[in-house]
Amino acid sequence: MHIIVCLDDNNGMAFNNRRQSMDRVVREKILSLCKGDRLYMSGYSFAQFTEVAENIIVDENFLSAAGKDDFCFVETCTFSPDTAERLYVFKWNRVYPSDLKLSFDIEKSGFALLESTDFEGFSHEKITLEIYERESI
Amino acid sequence: MRRLNNFFTLLMCVFSIAACGQQPETSDADKSYNELVAELQNSSPAYTNAAYTPINDNSPLFTADDITTESFEYYSELDALQRCGVCIASVSTDIMPTEERGSIGSIKPSGWQSVKYDIVDGKYLYNRCHLIGYQLTGENANESNLITGTRYLNMDGMLPFENMLADYIKETNNHVMYRATPIFSGDNLVAGGVLLEGYSVEDNGEGISFCVYCHNVQPGIVIDYSDGTSKVAEENLSKKETTQTGNSEEKGSNEENKEKTDENPQTVPIVTENEQGSDGNTDTKYILNTNTKKIHLPSCSSVEDIKEGNKEETSLSKEALLLQGYTPCGRCKP
Repeated sequence: MHIIVCLDDNNGMAFNNRRQSMDRVVREKILSLCKGDRLYMSGYSFAQFTEVAENIIVDENFLSAAGKDDFCFVETCTFSPDTAERLYVFKWNRVYPSDLKLSFDIEKSGFALLESTDFEGFSHEKITLEIYERESI
Repeated sequence: MRRLNNFFTLLMCVFSIAACGQQPETSDADKSYNELVAELQNSSPAYTNAAYTPINDNSPLFTADDITTESFEYYSELDALQRCGVCIASVSTDIMPTEERGSIGSIKPSGWQSVKYDIVDGKYLYNRCHLIGYQLTGENANESNLITGTRYLNMDGMLPFENMLADYIKETNNHVMYRATPIFSGDNLVAGGVLLEGYSVEDNGEGISFCVYCHNVQPGIVIDYSDGTSKVAEENLSKKETTQTGNSEEKGSNEENKEKTDENPQTVPIVTENEQGSDGNTDTKYILNTNTKKIHLPSCSSVEDIKEGNKEETSLSKEALLLQGYTPCGRCKP
């Protein structure tokens, strides 16, 4: 499974059951990453996708429903690092309030950084996309 | 910038404009904003190593009449003790600043003390802390919007919320109701904290909704809120931390630098060579990649990969570098 998350400088994901931030350029990149493969997310996440995408599947239990090669966009729930083969981490390079954080240290959980790219968002000066892949044992 | 200078005008404005949103959910329908403020003045939540504490189940207490898609900002007049009161705004791109922040050094908020501690990031215990952040309404030296706030309150308590609002508004072009209420107990000159409420209007709070108490504390420092005096906490004295009262000679240049760090740090350079000199600290703390704007520990394995032309040693604090737009290396995590 390929998991996509957005994090602030404190590894925060959400506050008061709401995402910390969003950016239309991030959404475009998410759709681009999936290249038409199935992209699972919650109804809450889907509400921010004004972009037309037939590969989006809305399911409140999407982490259970998604298959090995599917993508999951996770915003307001935790997940185990064991569920992911690849992680796509969008870093806001900002500090926001948070009460939901990524529950594990990515590199200490067996992932290796493959790629890191900075880009300008619509409402964020600099967003960093880091791609991690599970290291083979 | 659309500013309302008296409360009557504010009321007229708020009542005359059709509220487009529904009233935010509240945990206690009978609890009003005024009751909550009175409760907090009598007994504020204890600080438990978190810069902010959710209040009222994190539900803001704006009424339907408060909520409006008409941009405005309102700042209470100072009270008899020269203390700030509630500030409220319907923030949108209409009133967000388009220029870099100006000087606010002329303002001396109630309880203001110029004092430095080695254990405080950036040294200075107090900032002139905007109640409504500069990045939201572009207020500079407005005495009704600046309180004596610790570095911790400013950077860890309030700034994250201001960032969240600012980016949400830029992304959506929506309005956000924002209310910052300094909580003073009795005749104290320094607020114990700030009640912050936010609510996104056009999407009925789906994007932004919170109600938190930001603690005006500084870990390791004990503050006398009656007058702003302070001392190192007992448990920190054993670490040989020193307290220094800022002298007037030093204050001039450093005040200016500090003032620029109070708010909107992403756009304003802050610490100058001059300040480094005054701190007497020239040891290398970090290695910078001036191209990628990353901060590395000197021992980081990535340092050897940095091109010489992009490599720079610095003795600045991490906080100061973050304010200059640098971000920590994900590998060495400085």
